[in-house]
Amino acid sequence: MVNIRLARVEDLLGMQACNLQNLPENYTLKYYLYHALTWPQLSYVAEEDGKIVGYILAKMEEDVADGDEPHGHVTSISVLRSYRRLGLAKRLMIQSQEAMATVYKAAYVSLHVRKSNRAALGLYRDTLGFTVKDIEKGYYADGEDAYAMRLSLKHLVR
Amino acid sequence: MPPAGIPPSRALPPKESSLFKEVLHYYEDRQLKKGLKAADTILKKFPNHGETLCMKGLILTHMGRRDEGLELVKQGIRFDLTSHICWHVFGLIQKGQKKYDEALKSYTQALKFDKDNMNILRDAAHLQTQLRQYDALVETRHTLLRLRPQLRQNWIALAVAYTLAGNLTEAKHVLEQFERIVKNVPDYDVEMSEILLYHLRILEDLGEYAEGLALLDSSAKERTIIDRVSIMEFRARLLSKLGSAEAQQAWQGLIEQNPDCYDYYKGFLSNRGIDLDAITDETRGQALQLLNDFAQQFPRAGAPRRIALTVAVGDEFKALVEPYLHSRLGKGIPSVFTDLKALYRDTAKREAIESIVHAFLDTLTHPPDAPCPPSIDPTTYVWTLYFLAQHHSHLGRHQRALELLDTALAHTPTLPELYMFRGRVLKRAGDPYGAARWVDQARLLDLQDRFLNARCGKYRLRAGLIDEAVEVFGLFTKKDAPSPAQDLEDMQSLLYLTEEADAQLRLGNLAMALKKYVAIQKIFDDFEDDQFDFHGYSVRKFTINIYLNTLKWEDTLRSHPAYVHAAINASRILVRLHDDPSLATKPASQSHLSEAEKKAKKKAKKAEKKVQEDGKKGIANSTNEDKGLDAGPAKDDDPDGTKLLQSPEPLERAAKLLKPLTSLVKDNFEAWIAVYDVAVRRKKYLQALQALNNAHRLDADSPELHIRVVDFKRRWSTLSDKPSETVASVVSSTLPKLIPEEISLELFNSQYLQKHSSRGGAVLGAAKVSRDLGAPREEVEAAVFTALNADVELNLETAMAIDAFLSEIQSSRQEEFRSVAREKFPLATVFASREELQALRRSAVQKDLVDTNESKEEILS
Repeated sequence: MVNIRLARVEDLLGMQACNLQNLPENYTLKYYLYHALTWPQLSYVAEEDGKIVGYILAKMEEDVADGDEPHGHVTSISVLRSYRRLGLAKRLMIQSQEAMATVYKAAYVSLHVRKSNRAALGLYRDTLGFTVKDIEKGYYADGEDAYAMRLSLKHLVR
Repeated sequence: MPPAGIPPSRALPPKESSLFKEVLHYYEDRQLKKGLKAADTILKKFPNHGETLCMKGLILTHMGRRDEGLELVKQGIRFDLTSHICWHVFGLIQKGQKKYDEALKSYTQALKFDKDNMNILRDAAHLQTQLRQYDALVETRHTLLRLRPQLRQNWIALAVAYTLAGNLTEAKHVLEQFERIVKNVPDYDVEMSEILLYHLRILEDLGEYAEGLALLDSSAKERTIIDRVSIMEFRARLLSKLGSAEAQQAWQGLIEQNPDCYDYYKGFLSNRGIDLDAITDETRGQALQLLNDFAQQFPRAGAPRRIALTVAVGDEFKALVEPYLHSRLGKGIPSVFTDLKALYRDTAKREAIESIVHAFLDTLTHPPDAPCPPSIDPTTYVWTLYFLAQHHSHLGRHQRALELLDTALAHTPTLPELYMFRGRVLKRAGDPYGAARWVDQARLLDLQDRFLNARCGKYRLRAGLIDEAVEVFGLFTKKDAPSPAQDLEDMQSLLYLTEEADAQLRLGNLAMALKKYVAIQKIFDDFEDDQFDFHGYSVRKFTINIYLNTLKWEDTLRSHPAYVHAAINASRILVRLHDDPSLATKPASQSHLSEAEKKAKKKAKKAEKKVQEDGKKGIANSTNEDKGLDAGPAKDDDPDGTKLLQSPEPLERAAKLLKPLTSLVKDNFEAWIAVYDVAVRRKKYLQALQALNNAHRLDADSPELHIRVVDFKRRWSTLSDKPSETVASVVSSTLPKLIPEEISLELFNSQYLQKHSSRGGAVLGAAKVSRDLGAPREEVEAAVFTALNADVELNLETAMAIDAFLSEIQSSRQEEFRSVAREKFPLATVFASREELQALRRSAVQKDLVDTNESKEEILS
């Protein structure tokens, strides 16, 4: 059975492996460690019998511009193809958002998605309720544009 | 006249003295060029000034001129052995080279001459943590706190040091004292919240639950702990441990917060006296009742329903699993089978599932060429077939699985999962080429999906199609990377490296296989180094709990399956090299380099040239760029692994790779066998015997162990130079437990064979031993062939091992074996003839050649 829980240090290699199988944006372990050891409350995993089948790697935005509010950022989220249709991405996202709002008083959460990645765009917009805020030209290393998307967390902040 | 205490050789006249201070400032501000100029001005007049030489060396190292820099630093130290600056600089450079133990020695020297230098103390503390010298760490942290008690982090760092040293009581005292004096904590402070959670963890670990609960409740009330999930989790655990009536409510709250978390149900039930891992007839009914309540309360949560399937038995199980299956198959959830697979340990549950799903399929079945009647949901039909194919394949019924998949494919030819799983069935049945072709079909149905792409690459590697695999991986790797393989290695893809190494090994390319296994070893070295920066960082950020977990995890890092596998396989290669050193020089059986390797070789040549050119340029116009002290990634000057294969002392390298396994994966049989093979060749007889004993504990009847026990006895009885008395006495008292003293090795072997004659693996093992004991080839062959007898249990893997063995002993009966094996494993292609294999290899990627010519061009250019 798939178990949704807070990411632990011993999950990070599994998250990295999951990310490498699913997405073109990859990171070395140190970047995962940096997330976990800076914001230990924000990253979650979906796990089955010890295997990581989905994850959300999340952080708080460190350089908040003048006039902007504190907000969270999803560095990466994905679920293995063979574990689709269980609503895992949504469940992972909800847990992370709760923590962003309650621990860090995040007003909203942001994320980037490749303009060409229509499947992900659909997930963020239709399933998770994000809206496109902006287009960032040449955001990705290969020059592709990104949609900057947002979701308000105001209703969660207590 | 120099000030008291400064040796005359260090003292500088006022002008140079202030210049030296400038050097320090320039270095701190990373104005390396200016610093270098100032240092050179001093050195013109005082060429033997140790501290200036060291600073110049440090600056040069930052500018990328590492060798030159290190030389100067060493010179500088020789001129001024009592300068803390010289030793500090040396320590910094060693730290940059990741030589932590040497660096710590330099720091210790530096502290002798400047014992209260905070920078040096802090760096020393990080090194002590990295090296797990926790008692020394406590000392250092004490000194730092004494020097700067007003700094919050110095208190926490001392508590952490005590915690690591195992002295939780002292850690608690430090925290209590800190909390008493801490002032001006801003409202709603994440850092303070983390500190208190760390304090709570210590109380829990000390077993002081009531104190913990009191601290938790007051902190939650004052909103000094703000991490709500942590508050709830601590609370539920502490209340349970205290046997409080409030515990139930606390667990209930957690489940409401996250109804998909298994641990919360486990905690809830455990608090009610129900152990989910050991359900009894008494607890079963109550557990099911409670789980049912949760299932009603959280209709969308999978966990309570799925846990109930583990708990229930008999008719109750059937009643629960039927709607579970129907609803999931109806929703087209691809993972239903993997979800339920764990229940198959119980045969009755397995059979119940099989009959329920088959009955369900019957209600959906319709004539294959007629359109789906409106009463039937076409996707339910397909996913049900998919489930059953997985089910039968799991039980080894590959033919049945293929038939089910063919029915599904005829109905819905556009679902990648069906193609992927058809590939998987073929792989299991011994047809890696067909498997690769089918998985490629899946990939072609959705070219945007990296998951399908990665599977396709993996299956091509399994089929030995290395260039073709790398090519397909390259569709998703970074375009600016030197090669797809390099990108995957840089991104630390253990999956890719493992598969490629295994593929190279199967092809007989020992050099490339070893190179990739060693790449895995290096990645784990990097993982270990990764923690270093956090020794300072986490104490500044106060995220102590996860930091402590990180250190613990790092200590067991190499129990990761990828490391274990790489270490074992690399050690096997190294043992073969030791036994036959000519393997290192004669070309691999696939003597020609693959296309990818040829290209890599060219690239390496180019890179080498470029490094030389850059080096020249570097000297000509030194830049101001700060390259840092960490040595950058080394250029690959050994693209085909030849140099690695020819490195000296293969056994010592193997021993080093295997060392972590002896403490981290004590229950891994293969690891002990590998340890034995290396130890006995290094003449470490006690270690070899210990490995055999451990292997015996784990699988006393294993043929691999049998082979080694005989091997040990043979080596031991023919030793020319006897080892020490102690070793001899241990061996003579222990060995008889593994092999009786009085009987001959031949008899021991035939007894083993007799006892295990119905197991194919044992038949092969006994044949190998006969070979080792010098039996004639015909006899060994005849023995091996009995594995084909009808009453012998022979799986595909063993049949392949027999095939490899026949090839190793250059048997004339190998073809005969292969043709019988083909009849025994009708779906397998691994026993096909050489010509057929060529054709199969081609066919495995044929489709791709037609469809993606364009993208291929792009990769190759």
